[in-house]
Amino acid sequence: MRMVLLAALAVVAAAASLLVGGTTLAPHEIVAALSHPRGTDAITTIVWQLRLPRVCIAAVVGAALALCGAMLQGMLRNPLVDPYLTGVSAGAAAAVAIAILAGVSPAFTPAIGFVAGLGAALLVAALARRGAGIDPNRLILAGVSLSMFFAAIVTLAIVRAQATDYAASIVAWLAGTMAGRGWHDLVTCGPYVVAGVVIAAWSIPALNALRIGDVRARTVGVDVNRAQWGILAGSSLLAASSVVLAGMVGFLGLLVPHVARRLVGSDARVLMPACALTGAALCMVADAICRSVVAPAELPIGVLLAFIGVPAFLYLYLRGERSQ
Amino acid sequence: MIALNGVALDIGGRRLLEGIDARIESGELLAVVGPNGVGKTTLLRAIAGLHAPSSGTIDVGGSEIGALTPMQRALRLGFVTSDDVMLDALRVRDVVAIGRFAHHRWWEWRERTDDDDAVREALAAIRMESFAERLFSTLSSGERQRVWIAMGLAQATPVLLLDEPTSHLDLRVAHQILALLRELARGGKTIVCAIHDVNDAAAYANRIALLGDGRLVALDTPDRVLASDVLETTYRVAMERVRLSGGSLRVFAREA
Repeated sequence: MRMVLLAALAVVAAAASLLVGGTTLAPHEIVAALSHPRGTDAITTIVWQLRLPRVCIAAVVGAALALCGAMLQGMLRNPLVDPYLTGVSAGAAAAVAIAILAGVSPAFTPAIGFVAGLGAALLVAALARRGAGIDPNRLILAGVSLSMFFAAIVTLAIVRAQATDYAASIVAWLAGTMAGRGWHDLVTCGPYVVAGVVIAAWSIPALNALRIGDVRARTVGVDVNRAQWGILAGSSLLAASSVVLAGMVGFLGLLVPHVARRLVGSDARVLMPACALTGAALCMVADAICRSVVAPAELPIGVLLAFIGVPAFLYLYLRGERSQ
Repeated sequence: MIALNGVALDIGGRRLLEGIDARIESGELLAVVGPNGVGKTTLLRAIAGLHAPSSGTIDVGGSEIGALTPMQRALRLGFVTSDDVMLDALRVRDVVAIGRFAHHRWWEWRERTDDDDAVREALAAIRMESFAERLFSTLSSGERQRVWIAMGLAQATPVLLLDEPTSHLDLRVAHQILALLRELARGGKTIVCAIHDVNDAAAYANRIALLGDGRLVALDTPDRVLASDVLETTYRVAMERVRLSGGSLRVFAREA
C-alpha cells in the first residue's frame, strides 16, 4: 500500500513539475500536447522540448542518487554515508573546474565530469582495496580524503578564475542545476543509468543479508567481495550519471534512504524501489520550486536541497537515535 | 563428512593451526575444547571456508571447501559465529529468514513456502516461536544467541558449525540447545561445536577434539579425553575426576 502511495506521489510530483515554467500552461493544454508529440505549435514545443525532458532528468537524478545512497549505506552499514563518498562528485568537480578554466567548450564538460568522476571512484576503490575485497573503513577514509583534495583543486580554480567569467560557470556547476539539459543528455546517460539500476537490483539479496554483518553474510552464502565491488561499480555509475545531468546535487542521496527506511523498513526488496520513487518525487518537486521561486532566474537545486535536506535529515536522524 | 588433512594456518605471519588431521563422520557431534586462544574459533572458520589453510586440505562432503563458491558452501555447511552485532529494525523472523539466502537465485526475491516452513521449524527448535515478530534489538544476549542458532538451522545444511553456542545462555537453555544439537546429529547432521565447558562437551558429544596451542592434542571419546593426562597439561591446571552414577566421567579444576 505504501509503495502504491509513493508511486502516486511520484506521478503527482511529475504532473506538478510539468505545470511549472516561464509560460503559464493550463493542465488540459499540457495533456493535449503530451498526446500529440509531433505537433509543431509552441505549447507542444515547450512541453516536449523543455519541460518533459527536464522532469525526466529530475526524476532520473533523484532516483539514481537515492538508490546510490541506499546501496552504499547498506553495504557499509553506515547511515551517514552519501553517494559522493566514492569521490565521484569531487573528482568530477575538480576536472570540470580545470576544464572550464582551460577554456574547454561547455559542451564537453558533462563528459569530462563523467570520466573524471568514475576515475576518482576507481582511485578511491583502489585505495580501499584489501585482499580481494574492500575495507569499509579504508573506503570512507579514502573517499573523504580524496574528496577534500579535489575540493582544494576546485577552490584553487575558483581563486584563479575570479577575474574572469569562468568563476561563475564553475560555481553554477558546483551548485547543481538542470538548466539547459535535454533529451540528448538523458539518452547519453541512459545506458549507464540502466546499468546502475540493474546492478542495484542484482545487489538487493546481498544488501538484505549484509544487514547481519559481513562475516555472517559470508556464512549464509553471500560473495561479499563480489557484492562490494558490484555495489561500488553500480553506485559510481549512478552518481557519475547524475553529476553529468545535474552537476552536484547534495543531500538527496543521504536523506532519501532515511525517509524511505522510515516508510517501508530496511528490507532492500521494498526499500530500493521506495528510495527510487521518493528520490524521483523529491527531485522533481525541488526542481519545480527552483524554476519558479525566482523566475525567470533559477535557484540552484543543490542549494535548495541543502536548505530542506539538512534540517530534515537532522530531525529524522536525531529522532531515530532517541527512539532507540 | 568433514576431512582435515595436515591443516596448518597462518594469519598475520603467526601460525595459529598446525598439523590438524581429523575425520568427522555424518551423524556425529564433535565438541572442540581447549584453553582460550588455542585456535578453536580459527579451526571452525577454516572449516567454514572463511580462512584458507596455509597448507593441507579441508574437504566437506567430498569437496575441498576452498574450491566451492560461497553459495555452494552455504548449501553444505552453516556456521553460527559468536560475534555480536547490533541490528536496526529487524524482526527475529527476518534475521532467521536470512539463513535461506543460498536457497534462492538473485532474482528470486519472494519467499517460498519451504522458506516459511524452515524459519518456523528453526524458531520452534530453539523454542522462540513467540519471538518471531519481536525486534532483534530488543532481545537479551542469550535470546540473540538462540536466534543466530535458528538462522543456522534455517540454512538446512548437512553440516553445522557452532562457535560457543551456549556462551550467553543460562543453564537450562544451554542444555536444551546441546540436547537439540545431539538430536540433530542423531538425525544425520554433522555437527562441530567449539565449547568452553569440558563437562558439557563430555555430556553431549560423541567425540571431543582437544586443542592446545593450535595443535590437535587429543581426538577421542569423551571418557578417554577426560581421563587422559593431556587434559591437565593442556589446561595447565590440576584436575579432580568424578565418575557419575551412570558411569560417565566429569572433571573439576582443583583449587590452586
